[in-house]
Formats: sequence, structure tokens, C-alpha cells
Amino acid sequence: METNGIGKYTISFGMSLAITSIVSALLVVVKEMSEHTVLALMKGITFHHWFTHTLFILILFVVIGWILAKANGGQGLKMSVNRFISTLVGAVVLSGLIIAGFYLVWD
Amino acid sequence: MIEIILMTHVLFGMLCIIATVWLFVDALNASEANQARIKVLSLGVAVTMWISFLIAGYWYLVYYAPDKAIILKGPWPFAHKFFMEMKEHVVIMLLLLTTFLPIVAFNNLAANKAARKVVLWVTGLIGLVAVAMDGAGALIAMGVKVALLPK
Repeated sequence: METNGIGKYTISFGMSLAITSIVSALLVVVKEMSEHTVLALMKGITFHHWFTHTLFILILFVVIGWILAKANGGQGLKMSVNRFISTLVGAVVLSGLIIAGFYLVWD
Repeated sequence: MIEIILMTHVLFGMLCIIATVWLFVDALNASEANQARIKVLSLGVAVTMWISFLIAGYWYLVYYAPDKAIILKGPWPFAHKFFMEMKEHVVIMLLLLTTFLPIVAFNNLAANKAARKVVLWVTGLIGLVAVAMDGAGALIAMGVKVALLPK
């Protein structure tokens, strides 16, 4: 598939960014709605749920990006540049809307 | 001292926005002459964002609780309930975007139109999200101020 010369790390870590953004937004919803289970667990892992959240997302970003870069026998993930950009931008916008929308209705 | 920490956070956030806009313009006019500057600017965006994030994270974890209590008792509880809650999570995406930026900006943007297109979209996203976060920060500070004003 045509990638128009974009390096494998650009595609891999860009897709990792898209995935981790969505995971982060969903984790916000899950932890806020599960105060005594997920939120309590996240507070217990470090000293603060937000610190655990950030740490988890950063580690996930690196791990997924590294795995995707190793895909296709080490050639990395392949996709067209337009699909790559629309997935990346779409995921970031959707994540922002999930988080903002959730806190608009959640009290 | 607390105020200095907070203002340093804002300072580096502003520097990040300035570097992002500069990089966006340089990417629009990408040529062999500005490749080195594009790479330096992309690192500048990432580094200023990380510094701003770490300072804000320290302040949030150590000093924010009293401000939160003041905001929630004041006339603008939404400054915490919506803007702070939203900001503390959306900013994680901003951190990822700025960390990702040098990976793509280290391509030759003059020769690689696809990479240039990605840089333009990513810097555009960073700029918009960063300005929104700056506005949210201002509203949070205002939430404290209006709560402390004499009635």
C-alpha cells in the first residue's frame, strides 16, 4: 500500500497516538463511573488516579507504537497518508468530545 | 512561590504555542533552507510542553486541593467540575501530540509532501488544543477569583 514515503515510526506512533487517545478518553468515563473499583485501584497503584492515568497512557503509547513499528516483518504498519491523517485527527477530536461531553453531563 | 510555579507553567505553555505556530508557518513554506529550523522547532514544541506539563502536574498534585475547595464553594463551580476535569485529561492527548511531532518533523518536509501534510495537521491540532487549554486555565483561575471576591 502506498505510504507516500512517510517513515514507519511516523505511521506506527501516529496510530498509537490515535489508539491511546481513545483509550484515555474511555478510561476517564470508566474510572469516574466506577469510583469504588477502578478509581480506587488507580489511586492505590500510585498516590493519585491522574498520575496513574498519565503514566498508563504514556507507557501504552510507547508500547503500541513499538509493536506497530515491528509489524509486517519489521517494515511497520502500512497505510495511505490520507487515511493516516483522517484516523489520527478523527481519534483526537473524538477523544476530546468524549471527555468534554462526559464532564458536561457528569456531576 | 506557588504563584511562580503556576506562572512558569503558563509561560512554557505560551512558548509551546508560539513554537507551534512558528513551525506551522515554516512547514507551509518548507524548503531545504529551513529543514534544520523545523527540526529544532519540533523539539522545542515537545520540550516546552513537557516542562509545562511537569510543572502543572506537580502543582495540581501538591497545591490544587485548596483552590478546588474554594472554587466549589463559589459562584463558578463549573470552573472545576467541567474545565479543570476536562483540562487535566485532554492535556494528556496534547502531551502525546507534541511528543509525536518530532517523529514526523524529522522527515525532510521539503522533499516529502506527505510528511509535510502530517506536520501541518498535527501542529494545527496542537495549536487549537493548546489555546483551548490556555483558556480553560484562565477560567479555572477566574473560578478561584470570583469565589474570593467580597459579596
